[in-house]
Amino acid sequence: MIKTDVVIIGGGATGCGIARDLALRGIPHCLIEKGDYAAGATGACHGLLHSGGRYAVSDPIAAKECYDENLILRRIGKKCVEPTGGLFVRLPGDSKMFRERFLRSCDDVGIPTEIISSTRALELAPNLNPELEEAVRVPDCSIDPFRLCMLNMRTSELKGGLSFTRHRVMEIIKSHGRCIGVKAVDMVTGESKEIHANLIINASGAWTNLVAGLAGCEVPMTLSKGSLVITNHRLTDMVINRLRPPSDGDIIVPNEAVCLAGTTSLTVEDPDKLFIQADEVDVIISEAGRMVPHFNQTRIIRAFSGVRPLLKSQKQDSREISRGFQIIDHQNGMFSIVGGKLTTFRLMAEKMVDTVMNTFNLKRACETAEKPLDGQEELSGYPLSKRLADMKNIVCECELVTRKTVEQIITKTGTRHVGDISHRTRLGMGPCQGGFCTFRALGIMHDKSILTADQSVQSLREFLQRRFRGIRSALWGDQLREEQLVEYIYLGILAMEKNP
Amino acid sequence: MSVIEYDVIVIGAGVAGLTAGAFLAGKGLKVALVTSGEPTACLSTGCIDVCAQAKNPLQGIENLPDEHPYHFVPPPMIHQALSDFQQIMTNRMLPYTGLLQENSLVLSAIGAFKTTCLLPVTMQASPKSDDEKIHIVTFAGLKDFYPGYIISRLKKSSFSTYDAGVSTTMGIAANFEKESFLEAFLLWMEKLGIREDKIAVPAVLGLESAPVILQKIENRLERPVFEIPTIPPSMPGRRLFNALKDHFRHQGGDIYWNWPVSGVEKTGRLIEAVITESPGAPNSINARAFLLASGSFVGGGLLALRRTIVEKIFDLPVFVPGQRETWFNQDYFSADHGIGRAGIAVDSSFRPADCRWDNIFVCGAILAHTEALKNGCGHGFAMATGQAAALSCLEYLQ
Repeated sequence: MIKTDVVIIGGGATGCGIARDLALRGIPHCLIEKGDYAAGATGACHGLLHSGGRYAVSDPIAAKECYDENLILRRIGKKCVEPTGGLFVRLPGDSKMFRERFLRSCDDVGIPTEIISSTRALELAPNLNPELEEAVRVPDCSIDPFRLCMLNMRTSELKGGLSFTRHRVMEIIKSHGRCIGVKAVDMVTGESKEIHANLIINASGAWTNLVAGLAGCEVPMTLSKGSLVITNHRLTDMVINRLRPPSDGDIIVPNEAVCLAGTTSLTVEDPDKLFIQADEVDVIISEAGRMVPHFNQTRIIRAFSGVRPLLKSQKQDSREISRGFQIIDHQNGMFSIVGGKLTTFRLMAEKMVDTVMNTFNLKRACETAEKPLDGQEELSGYPLSKRLADMKNIVCECELVTRKTVEQIITKTGTRHVGDISHRTRLGMGPCQGGFCTFRALGIMHDKSILTADQSVQSLREFLQRRFRGIRSALWGDQLREEQLVEYIYLGILAMEKNP
Repeated sequence: MSVIEYDVIVIGAGVAGLTAGAFLAGKGLKVALVTSGEPTACLSTGCIDVCAQAKNPLQGIENLPDEHPYHFVPPPMIHQALSDFQQIMTNRMLPYTGLLQENSLVLSAIGAFKTTCLLPVTMQASPKSDDEKIHIVTFAGLKDFYPGYIISRLKKSSFSTYDAGVSTTMGIAANFEKESFLEAFLLWMEKLGIREDKIAVPAVLGLESAPVILQKIENRLERPVFEIPTIPPSMPGRRLFNALKDHFRHQGGDIYWNWPVSGVEKTGRLIEAVITESPGAPNSINARAFLLASGSFVGGGLLALRRTIVEKIFDLPVFVPGQRETWFNQDYFSADHGIGRAGIAVDSSFRPADCRWDNIFVCGAILAHTEALKNGCGHGFAMATGQAAALSCLEYLQ
């Protein structure tokens, strides 16, 4: 049995942020995550660090929070934020009235804006639709959510915090009506762990109500699915938004070598059963194509969706539900934290930990906004030239990941999941979507005796099925061609079977 | 623009195109083959899948759905095409073994057994069951070959790693063509004291002389040796392609390499010429008949758009298997996806159905209803339809 002060359930941005904040305030804690860090909505969003502009008109409080956090994260997280800047573009037919409301609202909130001509906008983002009327420049950025979570956890680790990924909470242990701990099972070995704590924080996003249910509590939620597509190229260096009330397919975000475009907004019941429809993909492409016409021809490498964990509201359209967050005290030693955005994760963590400090009757101020994220210095110094020099040891040709890097991650984390390697190296995130390199990474994991040969083959099988789920709804053109080649390799050349 | 005249132009340098082209050239026709580059055959295992979903390939073909293009090839012609192929490969010093009445098994690089009909002689000793004891020799740094995958199935096996100085499939294969490299490798092998019944190597035993190299290893180590086909780049696939290409040239055919077709000239009901992008200036190549063997999606003969599928050279009508949502089902491993049926539907003379032109013949993977992966219709299907389409073309020209 493990004893700690606070158990955090969920390793998304919120949970990881809470772990960092607790670490900096000296509170022992243990984070439990059923997948890998950033496995839920955190890793399935467009990676936009909002300027707040998008919410300025509809939700000024959330907009203000976004802008404040945007400034903080740019300061403390230089290695995971790219200060791209953003444009809200007004296309022919888009309301001029909305433009006025937008500018006024941004002004009220304090978000700096600059109106720029279409000529200037085209200089900044040459792939924009040349027919645009004008654009408004805002301080949007792109952010790497995987890296963000890892860096937050780095602080927790340095201060002696515990964390268990690939562990599912099966039971919340109660004594005299109070939650006193959790039982979690290791998804790999099937082993069970009992972790006792004074407080439990439920930060499990779309799964909040399911986790609350384990303690006999209820958190009514609206699960809003947002679907996105990833392109093969970085079509723009700036975040591009449509200057109109929020709708489908009106955000394009550059991220490393690719762009993400989205999103849709559809209410779903079960966060574990997400399907993307062909028409969602078509809508995103045609709407994104209005802002950046290349979208209509470019190769889409994958479509995916995440679930926004919104507090239930009377509003019919989930887009109208506030993106603000809320902390729920279940009055039994458990708190749930729901709503919010990736951009405001740090603030959510701060408020949550303030509540924890109050409960424990301790006083120590939050430091997460001042201190740079730990572990960032380790991330520099691997330039392209170095990687290319080692070309013969490249395992993932799309993202230029070497065998050495893969081996280092295996040694450092002891992971048995090839997905964990992807999240930490970008292996398999390029155009082939792991079609070639996963076979290699799992072969290496066997070479290093992390997996038995049988486990490697089984992992490969599961990976292929999972991968197919992601790319299935975006198959045409070159991506279909590549997929047919990959299918031919695994099912034809290697003769892989579903059940050997 | 220069103009070149031929009897027949074959489009595509895969197994179907080369078979059809060599057949027509062998009949005394002036044949040109235009290709945008290396065919997907180079990526293949080199094995000849005729119809892999039944024990007896011929029986399997009989059981295929009515609309399957195999049914347009009379069974004696399938026999003929495959025995012609075996003769060609024997002449080219790359003999194939196997029977048209019974499929064989070949051990794959993941430890599964691939069903095929004819196989390169270098794979003849491939085990037929999990019980066999093999010793796998792999090469240091080879990215796409992990003996562990094989040992997960053939549990009585073991492996050793040889440092070949290079780590690419092509590089190692080129080394094996050198006497001194082979000798050093053999000395190392002798020292291993291998106890297992057979020796397996990834398919890197030479660029061209694999059967000879393999024989030398077998003689020295007194055990059967066999190659395991690798994922691309695949040496057995390249050997197959090079042999068929040489045979086509030997029959008198011309190859226009890296000359992708960019346009077509037509008059009335006839295609007159294809315009190709070539170094310097576009060329118009005229012919009396055209044989389309440009492959499916991977080969580049078909292009899927968001709402339809097009044929890239002549814009022939394409059989589209329903709306995009239905092209792929949920199960990755089913190999039974609607998209497998996409392609050009033909009549019994291998002319495209509902076509405006009289002098186009179609063969190979671009044919509709093939379902190549599901039915295991690979190079054998390409040879059979290649020869059948070529015969139709010959009859038309006469």
